[in-house]
Amino acid sequence: MNKGFRIAVVASLLASMAVAEPALASTQGSFGSTSTGSVTINASVPGRVRISGLSDVTFSNVDPSIPASNAQNVCVWSNTSTRGYTITATGSGSANAFTLSSGALTPVPYTVEWAPSSGQTSGASLTAGSVLSGQTSSATNSDCSAGPSASASLVVSMNSSTLQGMTAGVTYNGTLTLVVAPE
Amino acid sequence: MAPSLGAYPSGGKARNARAGVPRLALSIALLAAAIGLPQQGIAQKVRVTNLSDVNFGLISNLQADARRSQNVCLFSNSTGGRYSITATGSGSGSSFALNDGSNSLPYEVEWSDQSGQTGGTSLAPAVSATGRVSAASQQACNSGPATSASLIVVLRASSLTQAREGNYSGSLTLLVAAE
Repeated sequence: MNKGFRIAVVASLLASMAVAEPALASTQGSFGSTSTGSVTINASVPGRVRISGLSDVTFSNVDPSIPASNAQNVCVWSNTSTRGYTITATGSGSANAFTLSSGALTPVPYTVEWAPSSGQTSGASLTAGSVLSGQTSSATNSDCSAGPSASASLVVSMNSSTLQGMTAGVTYNGTLTLVVAPE
Repeated sequence: MAPSLGAYPSGGKARNARAGVPRLALSIALLAAAIGLPQQGIAQKVRVTNLSDVNFGLISNLQADARRSQNVCLFSNSTGGRYSITATGSGSGSSFALNDGSNSLPYEVEWSDQSGQTGGTSLAPAVSATGRVSAASQQACNSGPATSASLIVVLRASSLTQAREGNYSGSLTLLVAAE
């Protein structure tokens, strides 16, 4: 039995802050042997997040009597003061359901879990289309090219009863989309 | 256009040194000083004006360099309008860094001897950049070129993409000296 699905990701780019009024403080130099002037510089950096390091998930030739699970390390970066973020997962099934399909065959469900640290094989269960808040990233670089190489875990699973209901030799596909937002 | 003679402060030194010189000779001497010719007894003086605050606002694209340039009036009465410039930031150790109260955001400073430029020579904090030349003919650019130099402030994408969310500010001080 071959079953596979891909994961597509969209990271939100929501600005989550008000822009402070810039102080006006430039000073002009006087005429002399030296002259000194100054300017004030203002810049506002909005809240931003990024998710990267995602890999497609493939369950191939799985034993239907044993639950199948795939855990992968992911990089989620947030620049908020708490490095917090929310995550929302949606599937490609009906009403964003976490399901795989294969033509006219009945779609089969899978589950999605999320952990805000890498190296995990389980985490908080995600509900399709629902926001999971209160996540915190340890990433110090937007693509984890420096500092921690990953900061979260994505776990996709299928239970044995589902696997036993699937048709052997058929490929099931689906897409899982993850939206991360600053918090 | 030569600057107003009255605009020169403390010109008494030159005038005192030349007390008794015929009026025509004195006028020529002062005119020479005004246009930047070497003039014994005329103090070397500079002035930087027309500075404006630099406001980047909300930087929506953190993956691209953010750059702001402004035209500045830099006058020097030294031979050839020569001057040096030293920039210091309000960051630690006079570094070029903005701060939001908790975090810092580094920036870069560039300087050009010409107005209207969006790039120039990089300045290092508290290090004098010598050999600069001004085309200004009046100390406040009230006549002649309206501006004579460009000040460029750059926030690099490499810094922005690592910056924490926040409202950052800082000051940049420019010290100009005649050469």
